[in-house]
This record gives sequence, C-alpha cells and structure tokens, in this order.
Amino acid sequence: MFSDVIVPKETLLSAPGSEEPVFARLQPSFSGCLERCRLGERSFSRQYAHIYATRLLQMRDILADRATQKWGGVVPIRKLCDLQTGEQCIIVGTIFKHMELQPSILKEISEEHNLLPQPPRAKYISQSDELILEDELQRIKLEGNIDTPKFVTGSVIDIMGAEKNDGKFTVEDFCMADLPPQTPRQPLSSDRCLCFLLLASGLGLNGSRADSMMGLQLLVDMVTGQLGDEGEQSGAASISRVILAGNLLSQSTQDKDSTTKAKYLTKKTPAGSVEAIRLLDELLMQLVASVPVDVMPGQYDPTNYTLPQQPLHRCMFPSRYFEVEGFVVSLRFLGTAGQNISDIVKYSNMDDHLEILESTLRLRHLAPTALDTLGCYPFYQKDPFIMEECPHVYFSGNAPSYQCKRVTGPEGQDVLLVAIPEFSSTQTACLVNLCTLECEPVCFSSFSTEEDEDNEMNISH
Amino acid sequence: MNDSILAAFRCAVNFIYKTPKRGLITDTFMGVKKARRGGKRDKSPSPPVAEPEPPQLSEREKDLQELKKFDLDCKFGPCTGISRLQRWERAALHGLNPPQEIKDILLKESTDPEYTQSLWCDYPL
Repeated sequence: MFSDVIVPKETLLSAPGSEEPVFARLQPSFSGCLERCRLGERSFSRQYAHIYATRLLQMRDILADRATQKWGGVVPIRKLCDLQTGEQCIIVGTIFKHMELQPSILKEISEEHNLLPQPPRAKYISQSDELILEDELQRIKLEGNIDTPKFVTGSVIDIMGAEKNDGKFTVEDFCMADLPPQTPRQPLSSDRCLCFLLLASGLGLNGSRADSMMGLQLLVDMVTGQLGDEGEQSGAASISRVILAGNLLSQSTQDKDSTTKAKYLTKKTPAGSVEAIRLLDELLMQLVASVPVDVMPGQYDPTNYTLPQQPLHRCMFPSRYFEVEGFVVSLRFLGTAGQNISDIVKYSNMDDHLEILESTLRLRHLAPTALDTLGCYPFYQKDPFIMEECPHVYFSGNAPSYQCKRVTGPEGQDVLLVAIPEFSSTQTACLVNLCTLECEPVCFSSFSTEEDEDNEMNISH
Repeated sequence: MNDSILAAFRCAVNFIYKTPKRGLITDTFMGVKKARRGGKRDKSPSPPVAEPEPPQLSEREKDLQELKKFDLDCKFGPCTGISRLQRWERAALHGLNPPQEIKDILLKESTDPEYTQSLWCDYPL
C-alpha cells in the first residue's frame, strides 16, 4: 500500500546537507487505445436505430454462448417471430423499460395535454414500469421472475421462459453477457514493485470561488514531491501517472443565463469557464512538469455533450501540450467520467455507484442507456461502448464517495472496480498499485474558515 | 367543335382512368357487362388471356433491382441514412456474408447516386 511506501526519515529539521537527494520517477510505457472513441466525420443526418441494430448484432453470438453454458444446449434459442405459445425457449434481445415518469418531449409539446415541462427528478422509476424485450423485428412484454427496477433500457440479455396465451413472455431465468476475455496481467519489470497511479475526478474548478483549491494544491505538491521529508518524497516518486476523470470545471461555470438572455446583453461578460480553464491550465502546468497526466472531460467541461466526449482542445492549454488519453501497456484501464453511472442511478432503483459499475461490467456494456437517456453520437458501424476485452481496472468518476472492489469473472478474469469520489466535495483521490491491483484513498483535508478551534492540516492515507 | 370537346373529354378520361397495361377501366367494365347479358352460362369459359411478356430489363435496371432487394433485406440491419456500400461493409464486418455481387455492382458505379444511396435517401430523417 502507498502508506507502507511512505516512511518518514526525520530529515526535515536538520541542517542542509551537501548533496540534494534526487528521486527518479518510474516511467512504465503507456499506449493509448481509445481510437474507436475518436470521431472522424461527424454526421448527424442519420437515425439512431443503427446503434441498437449493431449492438444486438454484436452481442447475439456472445449471449447465445452464455445461454448454452448456463442452461445447456437443450432449450432452443428462438427469435421472437418464431415463438410458439407454451414452448419453453430462450430469447435474446434488448430491454426497453417503459416508464410513465420518463420525461418525454412528445408529452411536453402535445397541445391536448397542455402540460408544463416536468421538473427534473432524482429518480424516474415507478411501480407501473414495464419491461419489454425487443429484437430485430418484434417486441414482447416480460413478466415473471425478473426484477423490473434493476434493469435499464438498452441492456442486451438472454431470457429463458415461455410465451403464454395473453401474448406476454413469462420469465423463468435470465443471463447476461458477463465479463469479456481478459489478457492475463504481466508483472511490471520492477524490483520493488512500487508503481502507483493516481485517480482523481470532480476537481470542480470555478473562476470565482476556490473552495477546493487548498486541497488541490496539496495534491499537486504531494505528487510533484514538494511535500514531506525525503522518505515521503521518494514515495511520491513511485506515482507514475495521474488520471483526472472528468468534471475539472464545476457546474457553476455553465452559465444558464447565456442561453436565455439576449446576445447583446451578454456580449461583454466573459464565460464563467474562461477563468476556470486558466486555473486548470496553471494547475496542470505544475503537474505535467513532473508526471504524465491524462485528462478526461466530464459533464461540465467545455467539450461536446454527446458521448463519446472528444478530447479537450489543446488551445485551452497554452502552457503545455499533453495526451488526453492513454493506458498502461501491461494493464488495461477502462473508465468514464461518471455520466453513464449517474444516468443509470436516475432510471433504476440502484444507488450504489460501485454496484452499478459492476452491473455494467456484467452486461459487457459501458453505457446501456446511451441512446435513450444519455446523449450519444449516431454510430452506424459498431457500438463503441461494448467491451471487447476485459479491463484490469475499471473506474468511474464523480461518485459521491470512495469505493473499491475486486470482482472475478467466470473464466478467471480479475478486475478492480474503483468509484472515484468527487474531489471538490470529498477532497479524496485514489491511488492504485499497478503491481498488486490494490487501491486506497488519499484524503487532503484543510482549514475550514467557519470553525473556531485550530484544525491541523493533515494528509492521511 | 364537338370533336375537340370529345377529344378533351377522352384525354381527361384517359388521364383519370388509364392504367399502364390494361387501357381504360371503362373498357374492362363494359366488357364484363356484355358477357353477362349475352347468356354466357351455356358457353364454356374462355381460356385465360396469356400474360404479356415482361419487358426485357436493361443491365442498369437489373442492377437497381438487385440493390433494392439488398436494401429491403432486414438481415443486414437498417438501411436509411447510410450509403449502400457502408451497409455492405458493416454486414461484412459482423460476419453476415452479404453477397459479393452487390459490392461489385456498387464499386462499378460508385458515382451514380441511384446506385450508391439507399431506397429512401430522398426522405428526410
């Protein structure tokens, strides 16, 4: 663990020595493998049906194999158009959850209903939700042994059961695609095996108020080795890379007035994000001087709204140019800024980010709600959110609190799940040991101006 | 004067009632009525009129028919919004074995929009 690495050596209050100790940072090689998320031509002149069609095409064979493994080859796999009443069979398709409370643009603009737009809610589930399974040609309602609130629209699953006389399909059991194949972990060639990766998200920078700046500065100082004595500095040298997973800017930089006010009134006022990006650039300049940094844009960052969000443009960072995506060679990392998880929170009864992270891994799909309730680019050739290879570390940013878990797959896959907490509210980042795949939180607490008694600054591991 | 009125009337009737192969509908109706009044029950039914030979299709029309069949084949997924070649390549990528002849036709006439674009390319999203 990182706390074992930091061994204070009592060198702080001593006379200056003749030599300055120099600590070399470990630099394992990295390569980016997110080419499928880069958009070349951006044409929105097509319908979104293509994504669902390719999603089902890609997942159908995988699910057929899983069904055979789980239930044996006895029960036949049928398409919906070949169903016979009363026959026990397996069907493969995409789930559609019909929710009464789901905001619908058609209801809003419908004149006969004369409804006001629905206020945003925390959850859109209700007792009357229904699950429907769709394949290439038909759809059928599901009932029986299936937990409706847990599923979200867009998940592709296998269902075993039979069609009853009323045209509904009674579910006896279901199964998901489960974890994809994983290349075994190669140990990094390092004697002491001390190589860490820092994960942080939700920095929440804001031009006007700087609530978490103290904590951020502590984080930067710790990583660049400017904090602590020699023992702690040599420990910091084992942090080989930093990944910032989304929401570098806070929600308050998104100026809602600019969309409603007339242009001539807002012409002179600069956007809230300009000052915040300048702060971010200064922060990153300090970090990048010493350690490679990967920056993932999030929900409130200046990039496109639809998934996959494209990298932040380099013109926003005049001080330094750096890669905005990259993954470790012998370990596969996969992660998002958290929009997919928080979308599933709204449309299912699950609240735990880690539980949802695990369920998306079992479904083998990063963002099942991608088309329905989460903005997405209309892909036509392949669905880029389907996981083809199992990652070793799977993370998502902007969680309400830090959580981590190890899960194993049916073929022996070993994955570390990390829910990275939002830094602006929790002042916590995560350190992942790349050799042993263990994770621990690093908390930076700082002064609070409201409290009377003296608070000590501490960096706890 | 009468001729011209009659000609105009006939043009109008032709315009309204004429079908491409069978001539005026009024001709067909009149024919059926005459047959009934003439006590047809005694006669044996006349042999069915032989279907006229289907017109020979040109090479281009045959190709276009093949491409239309490819568009309408639901095995390869939705066809709107993407070009036929893109759909063919997607089908090949997912192992659906689209017929090679379709790709040959598409590559042969890669600049003609009637070949490259799908059946419903003129309709908006």
